[in-house]
Amino acid sequence: MDADRGQARRDSIRNVRRMSNWTAAALVVGTGAAAVALAHHPFPAATQVPAAAGQAGGARTQTGGTTAGPQAASGPQVTHSVATTTASGVAVTTTTHTVNGKTVVTQVRNAPAYADN
Amino acid sequence: MNAMAPRLTCAGPWQRVATGDDAVAVAERAALGTTARVAVWPPEDLGAACATVDDVLAVLDRQASRFRADSELSWLHAAGGGVFMLSDGLAEAVGVALAAARWTAGRTDPTVGEALISLGYDRDFAAIDQQCGEPPAMPAAVPGWRRVRLDGPLLRLPPGVRLDLGATAKGVGADRAVRAAISAAGHTGGVLVSLGGDIAVAGTPPREGWPVTVAEEPDPGGPPPPQLVRLADGAVATSSVTCRRWRRGGVMMHHIVDPRTGRPAGGPWRTASVAAATCAEANAAATAAIVAGGQAASWLTSEGLPARLVGHDGEVLCLGGWPGVSGRLIPVPAGNHVYVGTRSPGGPR
Repeated sequence: MDADRGQARRDSIRNVRRMSNWTAAALVVGTGAAAVALAHHPFPAATQVPAAAGQAGGARTQTGGTTAGPQAASGPQVTHSVATTTASGVAVTTTTHTVNGKTVVTQVRNAPAYADN
Repeated sequence: MNAMAPRLTCAGPWQRVATGDDAVAVAERAALGTTARVAVWPPEDLGAACATVDDVLAVLDRQASRFRADSELSWLHAAGGGVFMLSDGLAEAVGVALAAARWTAGRTDPTVGEALISLGYDRDFAAIDQQCGEPPAMPAAVPGWRRVRLDGPLLRLPPGVRLDLGATAKGVGADRAVRAAISAAGHTGGVLVSLGGDIAVAGTPPREGWPVTVAEEPDPGGPPPPQLVRLADGAVATSSVTCRRWRRGGVMMHHIVDPRTGRPAGGPWRTASVAAATCAEANAAATAAIVAGGQAASWLTSEGLPARLVGHDGEVLCLGGWPGVSGRLIPVPAGNHVYVGTRSPGGPR
């Protein structure tokens, strides 16, 4: 009785060891196959880290990211100033004409402003 | 007008401006006591953009103007203090002004209204007697922004406190207008809106960014010359003590009040241009830089804001990546300090 029980226990342990060996072998083969597959098929470009802002014209400040960058490449080419940032509340109209091949820039102050100088 | 430009219609009194580029359409009109300018691409979107900006500015004027007797803000002042339920739009404008005051450590303060009036800036600038011989009154004390409480749309305004949203209102207007315009265009193309030189952009900018001139007004007749920079996102605003000046009894006044003294701000800088993620933030930072005086450079640097400061001698100091040469892109930092606690910029009308 004890001998039968001991034999059964040894058979059971042997089966478990056999299964473990097969499992380990399968894991080794699976890992190797995955590594080979990844080596031949890298992640698609869409999941890569976005290009640095500086590549599209935006510089990075000392304190963090910029909002300017990737958008800067997709609009039309515009060479002349379209607006003027100047003292609060006073706007300057900048008009550009081409006369005889020369660019003539005219600036007109729109809002009344007083200065003593 | 550029003869090659396509025929486009503008809403109301908008006037086309020829810049030399047919790829964008530009128009401007008088608004809010200054000049509003819109630039768009594709050019066909100009009419809709102008109409949208008109709507936004008309609403803002009815909400926040201290020069209109029928504005919501004037109604609050006429009531002499109390607790008020504001419109969403005025609540946002006041919230931005209070947030800017907190952010700038009180260098901008919406409670300078009474001080500005005591200095003589008591009406639209065009109507001020700019050579008044009467001596200036003693500057009114600035109550301080901490005395004003805003909880959602609920405003508690102490008696005698008059709000002036000048350090942020045009920026708020530009933020609202540019977002409304790009929304009206179905978020295609690009839009630039300038309110008196405070500029916000949205959508896809032209290649290399919107070309923008940085200048002083009136022309200083000396250094520095105007600078061309490019703006691809965010905003840029300029504050200066060289304009909106008037005399009271032989004393020169200007419109940027130091909340600590109630008097026109002194300090080494005559003009400050600042770029930021929103125009309200750029607007507030530029005014705060003038008021900060000798501490302006360190404060702007600590905030990571690109800035161009012009001293009274014409010397220029570029900070935070502001391009030192013409034609370069301004690196506008992400982030937002003044729309905190409010809805998204441009949301409430």
